[in-house]
Amino acid sequence: MDAAKIRQDFPALQKSKAIYFDNACTTLKPKQVIEAQRIYYEELAGCAGRSSHSIAKKTTERFEESRRKVAKFIGCLENEVVWTKNATEALNLAVRSFDYSKRRKIVTTRLEHHSLLLPIMEMRRKEGLEIGFLPLGADGALDEEKAADAIDSKTALVAIHCATNTTGLRCPVEKIAKIAHERGAAVLVDGAQAVPHFKIDFRKMGADFLAFSGHKMLGPTGIGCLIGKADALENLETFLVGGETVEQVDIERAVFLPPPKKFEAGIQNYAGAIGMAAACEYLAKIGMENVERHEQRLAERLLEAIASVPGSTLYGAKTHKGRCALASFNIKSIKPHQVALMCDSLSGIALRSGVFCAQPAMSLLGAPQGAVRASLYIYNTEEEIGIFGETLEKISKIA
Amino acid sequence: MLCFVALFVFGALSVFSAKYRPLAARAFDCAARKITLRPCQTGLDDEIRAASIAGIMRISPPAAAFANRHFEALSVIFTLIFFASMIVALQGIANFAVYGNCNGPEGGFCIYSGLQNPAFLKTPKTSEGIVAGNLSSGITVVEFGCYICPYTKEAEEGVQRLLENYASRVAFVYKPFPLAAHKNSFEAAIAASCAGEEGKYWEYRKMLFANQSWFAQEGERAFKQAARKLNLTGFDRCYDERLVENKINATLQEGKECGIYGTPTFFVNGKAFVGQRAAEEAEAEIRRLLAEGRA
Repeated sequence: MDAAKIRQDFPALQKSKAIYFDNACTTLKPKQVIEAQRIYYEELAGCAGRSSHSIAKKTTERFEESRRKVAKFIGCLENEVVWTKNATEALNLAVRSFDYSKRRKIVTTRLEHHSLLLPIMEMRRKEGLEIGFLPLGADGALDEEKAADAIDSKTALVAIHCATNTTGLRCPVEKIAKIAHERGAAVLVDGAQAVPHFKIDFRKMGADFLAFSGHKMLGPTGIGCLIGKADALENLETFLVGGETVEQVDIERAVFLPPPKKFEAGIQNYAGAIGMAAACEYLAKIGMENVERHEQRLAERLLEAIASVPGSTLYGAKTHKGRCALASFNIKSIKPHQVALMCDSLSGIALRSGVFCAQPAMSLLGAPQGAVRASLYIYNTEEEIGIFGETLEKISKIA
Repeated sequence: MLCFVALFVFGALSVFSAKYRPLAARAFDCAARKITLRPCQTGLDDEIRAASIAGIMRISPPAAAFANRHFEALSVIFTLIFFASMIVALQGIANFAVYGNCNGPEGGFCIYSGLQNPAFLKTPKTSEGIVAGNLSSGITVVEFGCYICPYTKEAEEGVQRLLENYASRVAFVYKPFPLAAHKNSFEAAIAASCAGEEGKYWEYRKMLFANQSWFAQEGERAFKQAARKLNLTGFDRCYDERLVENKINATLQEGKECGIYGTPTFFVNGKAFVGQRAAEEAEAEIRRLLAEGRA
């Protein structure tokens, strides 16, 4: 995989000399994705599945083709792909629409992003559900041996991350899914930080639901997916309802369409879906195994660069193996916002600072006031990490 | 602390451009929280600090380290200096608007006068005023001065030296230009001219500058007392009946037409020099002209 060649596909990198290390927030977009969206707006621009004119037919064709491409990329059937506006909506859909009539407990971890944690907490507040937490080590790694104890016969849903947005570490989803299924619980996986970085096969993963966003994997903003096993989707209650979700309506009752249409109310983000499919194609062409290898190399260099800075504190496990090229850290007593702003000012390095929409996770990791996060992707290079390390070293001297 | 400075600066800029209003709002929120001893939540303080330290770091990393370690203390000092400067500057602007000088009625060096360019002054056309030196010379020096102005007084030593060294080669014309900002300045101009009517102008002028603040304070009593010392018998009548008022008004009007904005103002063959060092600059110009053989 040639990062220098890949960089040529990204107009944002051609127009600016910035070092973009904020990919866990959102990634840059390649010209192939931008072009795919342009085609929708300039050549299609109709609505899918409603009108019968030729423009609408073409739009429907491209929209459903996009669904197939995403399904192929993630290893599921096309009717198992539900379009949402992002991973947050997908997680809300799964958590809020799940059937808790027989089991009243959701098991999760304290490392989750607010997008998963808050819907679960809302279900506790509104429905009186119980929340259980999988045991974690001090470095945030899941204690696999004790995990089984937390999932019991009352557990309806195990909702976990595949990779965290705070440390980039992966969770052994397959093992957890196996345990959960043995105990009769369903599994929802937040794949927002994993699908862009690792080869994910939905079937092999063994989860019932998988949520992810387009914009974190080179796609457009405003589009995401909830992947669900056909029967699991069938058992979900309706979420947003409206046009295109129903087969028949009279004033007394509505007969809803089968999934995924049942969950796709109103005009969809066609351009977003087409753009997201283009992003999947782009990544598939590179090969997710290559993406993973590239990130492993970057992760190793990234951790070395941070570790070599005097007074730096890295949060989470110190290993580069099995993690995204992502690291959260602090430098001495310097405020994380100040470090991020100074990196931008001194070397044009774009970083994220704060608690990364995962406040309980950051408290657990020992950074309740927040940290600085560097998250890299396919177009980042070791040279950029070198500049990053030098800049951090300069900053460390002011404390 | 810098939020207070930011609030003032962005608030002022917001009047002229909407793009600064969100920044002003953030600064306001930050300042309001600081007043109530709560931490700033808008992040503006961090942004200001990071930008400041990064800027210093590009010049000197050790200085950046020092500034970072003592940032709060330096911020307090900077903020106090900023607002003290603003108060002085605003006071100066108010004085400049009312008195024509940023120091108010007392006069003195005023930086805003520098905004006015001597190159735009018009050359005086008449020889009205007190005349000395060689009137047939090819070099003419004109001074617009105010007897109660401290800067005219400071320039007087240069004027006397100029008259002493170049009396035979330069024509000198003094045009009274009493500044309204100075108490009794018009009366001083009348008194000096009245003394001139009896041939004692230069002696009287010397007394005026020697005891400038006393004349300014005492006014008529002082002017008449000085006249008695010089045995000026017609002075009281000249002064009381303002017999020379027209002459003063004439040079005052001429000065206004020339665009005079401060005293002393010297013209050497039309080239203007304004302010404290104007007499020295005028002398340098005379030397240059003499070297060219213009006398």
